[in-house]
Amino acid sequence: MTTLAFAILLAACMVAYALNRRAATGIRDGGQRLHSVSGYHGLFALLMILVPVLVVILLWLVLQGTVVNTLIMSSLPDGTLDGLGAGQVDLILAEIQSIASGRVFGEPEPWKVAAAERFSGMLQTASLGLVLVTALLCLGIMVFARSKVSAEFRARQGVEKIVSGLMIFCSVVAIFTTIGIVASLAFETIKFLRLVPLTEFLFGTSWEPQIPIRADQIASTGAFGWIPVIVGTIVITIVAIVIAIPIGLLSAIYLNEFAPKTVRSVCKPVLEVLAGVPTVVYGFFAILVVAPAIRTLGAQLGIPVAPNTALAAGGVMGIMLVPFISSFADDALSAVPRALRDGALALGATRAETVMNVLFPAAIPGIVGGVLLAVSRAIGETMIVVMAAGLMANLTLNPLESVTTVTVQIVTLLIGDTSFDNPKTLAAFALGMMLFIVTLIINIFALRIVRKYREAYD
Amino acid sequence: MDDLRTVSKDVDANNTKISAKNVQVYYGDTHAIKDVNVEIKERTVTAFIGPSGCGKSTFLRSINRMNDTIDICRVEGDIRIDGKDIYDRDVDPVQLRARVGMVFQKPNPFPKSIYDNIAYGPKIHGLAKTKAEMDEIVEKSLRRGAIWNEVKDRLHAPGTGLSGGQQQRLCIARAIATEPDVLLMDEPCSALDPIATSQVEELIDQLRESYTVVIVTHSMQQAARVSQKTAFFHLGNLVEYGNTDDIFTNPKDPRTESYISGRIG
Ligand SMILES: Nc1ncnc2c1ncn2[C@@H]1O[C@H](COP(=O)(O)OP(=O)(O)O)[C@@H](O)[C@H]1O
Ligand SMILES: [Mg+2]
Repeated sequence: MTTLAFAILLAACMVAYALNRRAATGIRDGGQRLHSVSGYHGLFALLMILVPVLVVILLWLVLQGTVVNTLIMSSLPDGTLDGLGAGQVDLILAEIQSIASGRVFGEPEPWKVAAAERFSGMLQTASLGLVLVTALLCLGIMVFARSKVSAEFRARQGVEKIVSGLMIFCSVVAIFTTIGIVASLAFETIKFLRLVPLTEFLFGTSWEPQIPIRADQIASTGAFGWIPVIVGTIVITIVAIVIAIPIGLLSAIYLNEFAPKTVRSVCKPVLEVLAGVPTVVYGFFAILVVAPAIRTLGAQLGIPVAPNTALAAGGVMGIMLVPFISSFADDALSAVPRALRDGALALGATRAETVMNVLFPAAIPGIVGGVLLAVSRAIGETMIVVMAAGLMANLTLNPLESVTTVTVQIVTLLIGDTSFDNPKTLAAFALGMMLFIVTLIINIFALRIVRKYREAYD
Repeated sequence: MDDLRTVSKDVDANNTKISAKNVQVYYGDTHAIKDVNVEIKERTVTAFIGPSGCGKSTFLRSINRMNDTIDICRVEGDIRIDGKDIYDRDVDPVQLRARVGMVFQKPNPFPKSIYDNIAYGPKIHGLAKTKAEMDEIVEKSLRRGAIWNEVKDRLHAPGTGLSGGQQQRLCIARAIATEPDVLLMDEPCSALDPIATSQVEELIDQLRESYTVVIVTHSMQQAARVSQKTAFFHLGNLVEYGNTDDIFTNPKDPRTESYISGRIG
């Protein structure tokens, strides 16, 4: 039945479009000059129907379930729900729904069967109602839109108004989603800060959040200083960036300046494939290949290496960032005007000299912007570190030891028993908030720099 | 054409600096320069004129082998500077370009200081052993580029902050700094206002004392003002080459005549 409603809507749109268009063409052929070309008259009718009716159908579908459920539950024989908790009431509703859809288990009470019958009946009435309302609305608007067609009618402005309204709506949705997410983060963070003082969170050097949620659990007593966690993040990020920058930059310079066309045509797509590898795949590459290799090497050299090292996680993350940095550097190098390159070459500079002394300095702002964006990705990266970095919050700068990161801690805090009045769970939101602030600052910096260099050559 | 201030200068006595024989240039399958023969005199300003797309820049760029930097470009024939074939195997294009300086249509100073712009060429070619020597080269080049007085107090300000005309003279000074004997200029004034243009033209006239200058221009007045020899290109052919005075007052080829009188272009 819902499908039928959509079909009616679609048909009405097409008919209204054709009708209005024909009517407008008729006026034009009659010798009058139209304000808007006939296509806009058609579009106007189409949008006039499509937008409001679609909204009505969607609202109907969203609300129908709730309304029917409420009606059913209030129509049950008096006293059936007395003294029952919310969970048990939901259970009864679910049972009625499943009987209505034909899945009967055991011998349900007769009042449940009766309710189920009423339930199916109501659903049918509701969908019939939907089809009727859709058809009536479509027809009404179609007549209204048709009556608007005239030589002077500003159909184009009408269409533009509707379309710009739609665009405003979409951007508002995006903005409000962002605001909503940030607000919920902030809200939970404030709750957390009521339980744990801000100074302890920001300056504490011990992170042991696995406190008991139920009385019978054996767990630590709890400490919520984020310093070891953020230091772990920084260590891993530095490892990643130290690996990604030289590889990314040099490959970009090579591909941009020195590589023959054939090499370039092979390497660029390969780099793009690297960018498309899911991070979870990088994650098991880190645990299965890189971490054992580092351990073996460490054993041979007699250096103590932890099973999970910042080096393994950061190194693999660095490989992940290579295509990112290389594509930014590539864009920045290509954006350097050809005139500068020619200027250096005409002075008798070799290709390498031209790249190092002229192109690279001119491209630096763009490259720095790309690197900063890569840093904020490294900080926010979750999957690789969840798989390859450790869980223990060691306060150390040694990349051969196990460290943990902000994202890893958020994941572990929200796994298992959670409860929203417990600092353990709320700490995840506080960490999320800090992560958000840090990456936001880095991104703002990066975008500023990127924008500045874009203007430099225009 | 009677308002042209053509100055008759006898340069025929000068030696030949650049000689081109049967030069062909191709971009892929496009035949951009067709069988060009020309002898360019030492210490002379030679102008290349012709409608746009006729191959003036292409020919100019084959004199310092800048065409080598374009993948699809191929140069055939024989181009000699001081009798030495510049496309010979033992010629290093990088060293050639230090001896044959080039100035471009749009001023293209590096995003570095004025001082570093000039010092760059001498530095990569190892022309200065000490800082004092470098300072001297920079000053000398800026003086020759007729821009010293304007920038001597701000040598460490960025070169991109100068006005268009100053930037172009900076680029000329930059080209001079590597001690070339030939200067190629590809429409050096087309991005400049009239005052800057006349300053650069004046400079070109001075440069003639020490350099062989080849200038591409789309302005016939400019060719008449600054050059002693003019070559007229059309559709990749060198149609006519001779003393500037003769080309402008008494063209032999009907195509030259119609270009000069404004009928093709
Ligand atoms: N980089 C290039 N690639 C392909 N064709 C080119 C290139 N540069 C110039 N050409 C072609 O060569 C011809 C001559 O160009 P050019 O020397 O720039 O003319 P001019 O400087 O006289 O205006 C033109 O037809 C142009 O399309
Ligand atoms: Mg040109």
